[in-house]
Amino acid sequence: MNTEDSFEQKLRRQPYREAPPRWREEILTGARLAATESSAARRPTSGLSFFAACRRNLTNWLWPHPTAWAGLAAIWLLILILNVTTRDSARPQLAGQSAPPSPELQELLREQEQMLADLIGPVEKSGTSEPKRRLPGPRSQRPVELLNI
Amino acid sequence: MSSELDLDRVYDHHAQALYAYLLNLTRDEQDTRDSLQEVFIKLARQAEILEKARDQRAFLIRLAHNAAIDLMRRRGARVGNQNQFASEQISPFAPATDPDEQSFRTELTNALNQLPSDQRVVVHLKLWQGLTFEQIADVLGVSPNTAASRYRYGLDKLRVLLRPLYEEIK
Repeated sequence: MNTEDSFEQKLRRQPYREAPPRWREEILTGARLAATESSAARRPTSGLSFFAACRRNLTNWLWPHPTAWAGLAAIWLLILILNVTTRDSARPQLAGQSAPPSPELQELLREQEQMLADLIGPVEKSGTSEPKRRLPGPRSQRPVELLNI
Repeated sequence: MSSELDLDRVYDHHAQALYAYLLNLTRDEQDTRDSLQEVFIKLARQAEILEKARDQRAFLIRLAHNAAIDLMRRRGARVGNQNQFASEQISPFAPATDPDEQSFRTELTNALNQLPSDQRVVVHLKLWQGLTFEQIADVLGVSPNTAASRYRYGLDKLRVLLRPLYEEIK
């Protein structure tokens, strides 16, 4: 047992290396900074700092790929500009296309309309084409024939 | 600002012991530093947790242990290589002027590297931190009997590995 004890004592006497002295300042500063940041994050945002909080959240969200987000925004802007400009320039073109047809064409259309009218007869007004459906009245007022059937 | 003063005091009282423990556990100085930083960040954020602890040293070692385990899990690939390159790790012991002592410390470092991590940790806590088996059990979340048996196994292996050199320089 004496050998064991002396062996353990021998091991225990071996001194460990010292922690690098510069770590003290670095670690304590880092710890305090992290604690300050976390307490600031926990603090409720007032009305005035609402926009600041939004901006910070947006920055955090966009931060990983700012170039990609900027490129996407530019593409959307380009699409919007193109859309607005083509819509404005398309209107006069359509108006130009709807110019009155030539007299020959008008005559031809009139003849075709006449031919169609001869074939299908006089056009009835849509309001009188379908008789109104009558709702069934009370049982006592129904015709007797129906009851017999 | 009392918490800032406490943090200084805690560092001065305990950082060296935590450094030695973490270096023994991680076998890597950068991991040791990161784990130590994690411990002090936690203390800076929740200064009251240390005041509630019955045994501050044991509590801090447990914090350090958990921080190191978390870190090593996050860096799984690196940890996987640690055993392979264990012999290339820095020595946790201070350099000695006496060649025999230096030789013994080098061999002790190599022998410790050959121990399984759970035995190495217990041997360190018992020999170099002076904790009881109850305290070690509390730190590691095992029973005192398990801590004692791990210590015995670890010490026996060290004795076998170091016997020739130890007998020579005794």
